[in-house]
Amino acid sequence: MIKKIVFIASLAVNAILAVVLVVGIVGAAEKLKFSYVEKDTIRPDSINMYLDMENYGTVAALSHPVRGGAEIKEEYAECFAMGEYADLLFQRRIFEADGDADTLKKCDERLAAIRADYPGQSSVFDKMDSSIERAVVE
Amino acid sequence: MKCVNCGAEIALTDKVCAYCGSRNLKTADLQADMEKQENRTKKAQRKLVVSISRNMPLVINMIILIALVVGVSVVFYIKDNAYHFQSDAKQNESIQKSEEYRAEIRQYLDDGDYMGFLAFMDYHNIAEYREPYEDLGLVAHMADYYGDLLSDVESFRVHGEDAGWYSPENDVFNCRMSINDFYHEFGYKASEIDADLYRDYIYDMREKADIILKIYLGMDDAKREEFLADSINGQEAYLEELIDD
Repeated sequence: MIKKIVFIASLAVNAILAVVLVVGIVGAAEKLKFSYVEKDTIRPDSINMYLDMENYGTVAALSHPVRGGAEIKEEYAECFAMGEYADLLFQRRIFEADGDADTLKKCDERLAAIRADYPGQSSVFDKMDSSIERAVVE
Repeated sequence: MKCVNCGAEIALTDKVCAYCGSRNLKTADLQADMEKQENRTKKAQRKLVVSISRNMPLVINMIILIALVVGVSVVFYIKDNAYHFQSDAKQNESIQKSEEYRAEIRQYLDDGDYMGFLAFMDYHNIAEYREPYEDLGLVAHMADYYGDLLSDVESFRVHGEDAGWYSPENDVFNCRMSINDFYHEFGYKASEIDADLYRDYIYDMREKADIILKIYLGMDDAKREEFLADSINGQEAYLEELIDD
């Protein structure tokens, strides 16, 4: 009788462990192929929150890591591009003042490309443009 | 031993003499005992086989249970350390592709794009403190400080007209700290910077930091020196005035 109980209990435990193992394998596989940008450094939710709050400098600062060539999920591409736009706009002034003509040219090309990729966000890009103007201390 | 009848040499376990055919009476008791023991052993073996076959499903189940426990432990260990595994893999890849990566790093530095340089180093998990990238140690170190300064001034100064400012006090604090940290580190490492292979880039960072402070915080050379020599309160008061603007 005791043997039967032990057998049935071990069968139940095995079934539970098998489920846990499958869930664990799926989770581990997911973690092993995680996106650096999404999970490690930048939080898309934060970028979207600061975009809504029009804190474009923070959006730009949070987006810095994408400039190293990191791959991002398609669904988050737009918010990272917005951050990249704000960041390049901020740095454009620095390159201009420092006389980095080639870098300035690359910067302008990238800014134009981002604007062209997201025509629906032109009003936000315009706001970013004017926020940089206002950030400059005369 | 010898046969009691013919005296031939026979084995202790022989029941009859192979030469004269007479019974081996000397070891008859012993042989009877041996037979008994053999029967007992056979009985015990049969019992054991029956017992094993009866408990086999339970034994197999227990083996599966142990295997599952080990499997679950390994999987969760991998899951918990996935970041480190990936990180190590990236670092190894950066060593294997060092020639290709170095060309890209050089391009970022030549462009004066130190944020891109930092992002590239971070993304590829390039360890500037070990071969084959150890020559980049100081330029990466200073780029970190430059990156903080740029990010904090950016966060502090760039807002839309209807911006909901999250925490101006925090922005002022971060901005003040990163400005002081960058210029302090530049002064502290001056002799190392002068001897470094990438000194021109580090000096360019300094120039760009000066430009950031001039354009976005209104500090010319004199004002910057005054700011850096000022007290914490004085520095914060200067930055807070910019918020009111």
